[in-house]
Amino acid sequence: MTEKIASDRILMKLDRVTKNYVMGEVTVEALRETVLEIRDGELLVILGPSGSGKSTLLNIMGGMDLPSSGRAYYRGEDLSRAGDRQLTRFRRNEVGFVFQFFNLIPDLTARENVELAANLVDSPLPVEQVLKEVGLADRMDHFPSQLSGGEQQRVAIARAIVKNPRLLLCDEPTGNLDYQTGKLILSLLAAVNRERGRTVVIVTHNTAIGAMAGRIVRMRSGRIVEITENPNPVSPERIEW
Amino acid sequence: MNALTRKLARTIRSTKGQFLAVVAVVTLGIAVYISMGTAYLNLHQSQEAFYRENNFADYYFHVVRAPQQVVRQIEALPGVANATGRIQTDVPLLKADNQRATARLVSCPMPMETEVNRLHLLTGRLFDRYPQGGGVEVLIDPQYAAANSLGPGDTLNVVVGGQRVPLTVVGTATSPEFIYPIKDSATLMPEPETFGIIMLPHHQAQQLLNLSGQINQVVLQLAPGADGEQVAAAVKEILEPYGNLSSYPRDQQLSHAVMQAELDGLRASAIILPIVFLGIAAGIQFILLGRIVKAQRLQIGIMKALGYNNRQIMLHYTGYALAVAVVGAVLGSLLGLLVASGLSQLYAQFINLPETLSGVNLTAIAYGFLLSLGVGTLAGLIASRGVVGINPAESMRPEPPKSGRKALLERWSWLWARLNLTWRLGLRTISRNRTRFALTLVGVVFAVGMLVVAFSTNDSVGYMLQRHFYQDQDYDYLVHFTTPVHEREIASITRLDGVLRAEPLLQVPVRIQFAGRSEDEVLVGLPPDATMRTLVTKTGRTLPVPEAGMILNERTAAKLEVQVGDRVTVETLLEMGPSRYEDFTVIGINQQLVGSGAFVSLEQANRALQERNLVSGVMLQVDPGLAPAVEASLNDMTGVAAIMSRQKELDNITKVLDLMIYSVSIMIGFAVVLGFAIVYNTAVVSFSERRRELASLRVVGFTSGEVSGLLLKETVLQSAVGVVLGLPFGYLLARGIIAAQAQSTDLYTLPVVISLQTYLFAALGGILFILVAHRFAARGVARLDLVEVLKNRD
Repeated sequence: MTEKIASDRILMKLDRVTKNYVMGEVTVEALRETVLEIRDGELLVILGPSGSGKSTLLNIMGGMDLPSSGRAYYRGEDLSRAGDRQLTRFRRNEVGFVFQFFNLIPDLTARENVELAANLVDSPLPVEQVLKEVGLADRMDHFPSQLSGGEQQRVAIARAIVKNPRLLLCDEPTGNLDYQTGKLILSLLAAVNRERGRTVVIVTHNTAIGAMAGRIVRMRSGRIVEITENPNPVSPERIEW
Repeated sequence: MNALTRKLARTIRSTKGQFLAVVAVVTLGIAVYISMGTAYLNLHQSQEAFYRENNFADYYFHVVRAPQQVVRQIEALPGVANATGRIQTDVPLLKADNQRATARLVSCPMPMETEVNRLHLLTGRLFDRYPQGGGVEVLIDPQYAAANSLGPGDTLNVVVGGQRVPLTVVGTATSPEFIYPIKDSATLMPEPETFGIIMLPHHQAQQLLNLSGQINQVVLQLAPGADGEQVAAAVKEILEPYGNLSSYPRDQQLSHAVMQAELDGLRASAIILPIVFLGIAAGIQFILLGRIVKAQRLQIGIMKALGYNNRQIMLHYTGYALAVAVVGAVLGSLLGLLVASGLSQLYAQFINLPETLSGVNLTAIAYGFLLSLGVGTLAGLIASRGVVGINPAESMRPEPPKSGRKALLERWSWLWARLNLTWRLGLRTISRNRTRFALTLVGVVFAVGMLVVAFSTNDSVGYMLQRHFYQDQDYDYLVHFTTPVHEREIASITRLDGVLRAEPLLQVPVRIQFAGRSEDEVLVGLPPDATMRTLVTKTGRTLPVPEAGMILNERTAAKLEVQVGDRVTVETLLEMGPSRYEDFTVIGINQQLVGSGAFVSLEQANRALQERNLVSGVMLQVDPGLAPAVEASLNDMTGVAAIMSRQKELDNITKVLDLMIYSVSIMIGFAVVLGFAIVYNTAVVSFSERRRELASLRVVGFTSGEVSGLLLKETVLQSAVGVVLGLPFGYLLARGIIAAQAQSTDLYTLPVVISLQTYLFAALGGILFILVAHRFAARGVARLDLVEVLKNRD
């Protein structure tokens, strides 16, 4: 009973998760005994320098990768023992991803890129409405190569949220964008969290971005070194870096 | 090994599937070139050498009979280098089981050394002019000897002037005119069980045939630079008093014509097939190397930053194509030599060329290597030209998204709107890579076209046999008499138990003249209600045997330029009595696959001979159960020269068809390898350049199966058009091949017959190699490492 209540509040739980990569003849410990709980509806920012393990953590949270040891529970379901089929279903129904390099399909227009994701789930959000929300009402029929970086990232966000996932995972979403555009993207992510009540996790090496989060996780050398509650998140428009 | 070579070796290792697929196509191309080229060169050279050493005749003249001395007169003509007078005639041959065969007796003036068409002894010894203990010694052709298990010391029995004459076999021999021993142009292929060539001393033949001091044939060699037609005209003038029967140049000599057609076919295949294979291999390498250069953009940038110039880097990538060329040439040469020896053995079964045809032809191999390397270098340089455009600084930044563009199909918005998103994606990807699409298309079209041609062989042969043996001539036996007889004499045959139906015919050798042109033909007189010999037009309409007028076969009509309605003159060429002339109006032109003929009513044929009620043979339909008995009775009859049995002819052909299955299977194998190689390479390239894109689909929630399905749709879109176009292309290809054969021989007409089933099998074959290629290419989808592929490039 307690567990049920807890899982209502806790969306994801990482229990002593370790990830080792074998790179040729050396083994790299990307994550060491990491423990973290993600709360439903929160905006979490994970900060850390490159190589700190933050992307690895995000990949495990998103069902893209399996831990070497430890457990990852999503709403009580153990993902760390899941097979490819189960992980695919998890990514399809529960997770939206946003990458640093957008990863759009070059041969599909903005609208079609979003439609492609919408077709995967039973009750997606209306494609055009989502595109309007991210500010692409007039660019829907453009191909990625005809869009600016910021516009491409907005398509990527639209593609992620159209499936109406509980969890939105963003890996350096502003890493390949200029300052102004970056801030616009962050505002969009904050709006998704605030207005749609979706859980948003942003991984970045840019410490300034932490200010917009409800909680900030700091990582170094594969470990979480600090978790800070931020009772007064700042709107992304006001963040400077 | 320097660093660049090591890098090349590793690139090859990491793309080994594709490397091997291209190598396979090059191997096939080179193998075809080496095997057919070797067979061609060997056959051609041994044929030339054999012709030269054994004084093969340039011209043939047949007369009724002429005194031996005319040969001197002919030899004295300007332009004649060498002339031989001899006797050649066909006589019935009685085999051990009392069956009949046809023997072609050829006399050989002795000593032979300087004579035209000199014999070449293969086994045994030369005949004695006057054997101890009397009798006649003969040499026979090796095919007849083998088919009838005859060896030195065995006796042959021929029928001459109603008498059975024993001949003693002392060995086997061949000569340039009997390399391909077939009886006449109406015969489809050699029938060694029922047709043999018997060579004997000239004076023995004269005695045997009651032609003392006489000859009936003059064969001659022209002096270098002499005008054949002029010489022929002069010779004919000399022979005029002796009954000119026919004359023809070497081109029309049957054995030579068949050999020449075979050689021309070999040479054409040895050129065209390798061009197709190497061309497609070059196309695949163009796609593959283009992709490798793109994928290694960063490495190329670094090499340039280090100071390597464009030429060095392009040569490095051309090295890949050269590696393909070398490996393909080596494997192709080995395979080619293997096939060449098989091919030579195959030919050896049919032709009598004394010098064996095997032998490694270094020239062909050298050309094979040059060809392979040349094509490889060209493909490599063209494909790696993209190196020039790479700027070192730019290459280190991530590539901008490939420019998406609208597909042509999007213009038809009603159709486009109905298409599922994944189909649209496939169509757009194809429109972005039009060159790749075009090259894949060409490859698949060729592969499917080859499948159509291979499968259609069965259709054509089946149609040909059905038409020739059951439609054009629907008789179980055709009996030829030694001399024409009165119609009522065939009653003895018609009355035989088991004969269901009999129809007589009268065949007369004639010369047809029209507008200054003339052609030798056989005038065939048939009863007006004949059912066992059917004449049909090109369009398939049946022509009844005319009461008045003549139906001429298409080939002869074309040579004489005769049209329906023209009036032709027919001159009889009988060995007895004077020539007679009769005019006929051509009232129809018929098409037959094999042989020739000019068809009239029995009555008209008799009129041409100024005779009545004569027949020279009879066609029989018999009760299958009683066929052996009928045949035995026929064999016992005197006056029967030859008995043609449909069953025996079919059995003989079936043996040859087994060999055909072998070559058809090889062709199917080649086509499948070709199709697989191109589809597999395109699919792998498409997959590898879109790993990121496909991985991101996996992240969005596509299953491996769905991603693989997406690739399949694209592969199907790429190749389905190829399969569809490949079917009509196959038809054109088959027609082209047959047209090329028709040009080199006028002995037979091969029909282009392609059944629905053949198209179906070819299409299924195409679908099969596409699916298998896709399966191999899409193996990578399941192994796609999402984290690795999508790792941020920071």
